Formats: sequence, structure tokens, C-alpha cells
Amino acid sequence: MQRGDNQVIQYLIICRSLTYAQRTAKVLERAGISAYVMRPPMEISGEGCMYCVKVSEKRLSDALIALNNANMGHGKIYMLDSDGKSSEVRL
Amino acid sequence: MIYLDNAATTLQKPAAVGNAVRRAIYGLASPGRGGHSFAKKGAETAFKTREAIGELFNVKEPDNIVFCMNATHALNIAIKALVKAGDRVVISGYEHNSVYRPLVAMGAEIAVAASPLFRPYQCIEAFNDAMTWDTSLVVVNQISNVFGYILPVDEIAELCKARGIPFIVDASQSAGHIDIDMVRLGAAFVAMSGHKGLYGPQGTGILIAGELDHLSIKTLMEGGSGSNSRGKTMPDFLPDRLEAGTHNMPGIAGLLEGVRFIKEKGQRKIFEHETRLVTYAGRLLAEIPGVSVYISDRPGCQSGVLSFLIDDMLCEVAAEELSKRGIAVRAGLHCAPLAHETAGTIETGTIRASFSAFNTRDEVRAFAAAVRDIIEKKKGRKEYQNKYNSINNAH
Repeated sequence: MQRGDNQVIQYLIICRSLTYAQRTAKVLERAGISAYVMRPPMEISGEGCMYCVKVSEKRLSDALIALNNANMGHGKIYMLDSDGKSSEVRL
Repeated sequence: MIYLDNAATTLQKPAAVGNAVRRAIYGLASPGRGGHSFAKKGAETAFKTREAIGELFNVKEPDNIVFCMNATHALNIAIKALVKAGDRVVISGYEHNSVYRPLVAMGAEIAVAASPLFRPYQCIEAFNDAMTWDTSLVVVNQISNVFGYILPVDEIAELCKARGIPFIVDASQSAGHIDIDMVRLGAAFVAMSGHKGLYGPQGTGILIAGELDHLSIKTLMEGGSGSNSRGKTMPDFLPDRLEAGTHNMPGIAGLLEGVRFIKEKGQRKIFEHETRLVTYAGRLLAEIPGVSVYISDRPGCQSGVLSFLIDDMLCEVAAEELSKRGIAVRAGLHCAPLAHETAGTIETGTIRASFSAFNTRDEVRAFAAAVRDIIEKKKGRKEYQNKYNSINNAH
């Protein structure tokens, strides 16, 4: 998605483990939301070696609804721009 | 060779298992240990395997499925998570050393709820009597690896739940054979092998954790988990807490195909096939003079495993003779001396034949014919010896 000066924004949903991230991604895929399991940048993963699920800016609210419907909790959410800069999203 | 040692390891595997293992060796890297495509493929396979296992055993959360080296590994984690020195632990009279020895090592006060073979009602009674107010844990084998006796685990589970006692089920011989529903069962842990009834490769085992505080589970091993790496202790969530070190990806990939095979073929159908073979083998063996067979006289009490003895012949010798005739069975105590003490075979051990989805009635006939041949040859040698002795004595 584009924002302001052509910045592509993605959201990272932090998960406690790889397995949990995979479960999260599966719920989202089932809801028709593209989701990608990856490691977040070091500045996000304070405890090191964390996992997250990346979704597009447009689908974040759908993703949170889908997770809520599936009784799947989630960790913090970060916004990631195309320069790799991240900031926590306060819901 | 006719392979009848499936209670130890199912050696005949679906072709897909071997193919998956081969592909995994060259194509699957460690899940969670890298962002490259090989690690991602490994992660996908591990997750699919957890999901497949979850479906088979009705596990709500795949996170609660822990990959282990074998059932012994899984049972050690489970027992050591719940037992402290001096705790009273009630077990069945048919437990394997993989339950008994960890309990001894932990200094538990072991109470054996002993009951006769193939008598489930007496088994329930024995558990009911043994589960005193100070019982901390119950551990029960779902199927005896020696006799194929199916213990009344559902009823024992109900006794435990009614008294608020956590319980562990050893499903080494039942996984892939009979229905195990984690939600209905309500066990603290269910432990199983991957290489027996699930048709996975050796070196695979599974621990399924129930609803309990995962942080309270003591770790047997500590090390890399691919998560919370800056923390000095193992993560407080499953499966990472109990999966230290590199995963056995060839084993897990093979196990996935084994589980798929069971689903495709139908667990119930496989079980019915095996029990038909056991019934047939029991009938043929019972017709041979000099053979004692441990076969249930009640339907639903025995899986595809049976033990037998040959009069005046050590079971190891009989197994050796069967091996010479192309039949692979196991003889001895089968790492379950408690089961032999309960059944009264501790001094002799038994010869065990155990069947899988791949065995046939023709193989059972050949097996029984081999047993008959061994006995007749032995009888012939004895008659010759007697005749020789009488001639010698006459001179």
C-alpha cells in the first residue's frame, strides 16, 4: 500500500513461536488474507529470534477480526515501511 | 522374511515414508533456524505434521504437540514434569520400563494396580482401589506391548477426573490403532512412538500435552529453540520449551507420510485387519500340541499383538528357530518385566508375534506352520534320542 511519499506500509503481527506464527498465518489465509511468516527485524524482537506474520496495510483490520473470530491471541503489532523502519501500532 | 515384530518397529512402511525421508535429507533445513527457502520448507513440513497429528488425536492446539526422539523420551518428559520424590503414583500392572524406570529414578512411591490379563472390569476395580487420597499421578499403558491387552483407559480416565488426579497415557502401542481423543480423554500428557503404529521412521516420538501450565513442565534438555534467543532459560511456551536442538526433519517428514497413510487407509480398518490376523494366529497356534497362547476370550480386549510359549523350549531358542525359517518375532521380557510379573510369565518370558497393516493371512499360516515344524523336529529329535538311549542301555 502506498502512503504519502510512495512508502509501502506492511504490518507485522508478532507471535511467540514459529508454530504459533504458522497457525496465525493459516487462519488469515483461510479468511482470504495474504499472510507471510517471517522473522521481524532485531529492533522489534527484543528477546531475539521471534516470529511474526506480515499482512498488508489494507488487511490489518480484517486480519485482527479473523484472529479474534478464531480465538487466536496475538502479540504486539508493528508498522514497517519500505525502508525497514518500524514502529509499534497502538490499537 | 515374514516380519512379525511390529510392536517393536513397523519395518514395512508405506513407500511415501521412505521417499519423504530421502527428500528431507537433501531438501529440508531446520525449522525456525533461518529465513531461507530450505528452512521455510522444513518449517512447513513440521507444521503440517503437527496438524496431521492434531487431527488424528483431536488436539485443539498444534503447539501442544512436541516432537521427541521416541516414546521413552516423551514419557520421561511427562513423568518428570509431574512427579516429585515421595509422590504416590498408581500404574497398571502392564507398564513398560519406559514408565517404571523414570518413576524409580524420581523416587516415586509406586503403587501397582495389578489385575489379570484381559479382564478390564477387574482392572478398573484395581485402579479404583489403588487411587487413594494421596495419589499424585496415574500412569497407564493403553495397550500392553507384551500381550496386546487393551486396558480400559477411558474408564480409568473418568476415575482420575472424578478425583482430580492428573494422568499420563502411554500410547506407544495404541497410536495409529485405536481412537485417542485428547479433548475427551483429558489426560495431562499422552506419549507415543512415531515408528510403530504411525509408520514413521525410527527416532520419532510424540508428546501431546493437555491443558496444564506449560511453564511448570521441567525441561529434560536445554539449548537452541529458535525463539527468545536472548533469554537464559527455555521459552515458557510449547512446543519450543521442550524441543531443544535441531529437529529430526527426515524423521518428521517420514512421520507425516505415515500419519497420512493411516488416515487414507483408515485407522479402524487397519486395527480390524490386525485383530483378525491375531485371532487367526491364536486359533492356529492353539491347535498345535505343546503351544500355550495368550489370547483374549473377549472381543475388544486384544490388539494385533500376541504372546505364546512352547513347552520345554526357551523362548529365545524358539525365536531363533523361527528366524531360521524366515519369521521375525521377538522373545524375552520385551522391556516390560512388570507385565510378565502380572501375567505370571516372568520366569519364562514369552515369544511375541505382532502384526501390521502389511501382514497377510498367508503369512500367519506360514508362521503357524513354522511353529509346528519346530515342535515336530524337536519331538523327532527327542524320540531319536530316547531310541538311541534305549539301544545303548540294552548293550
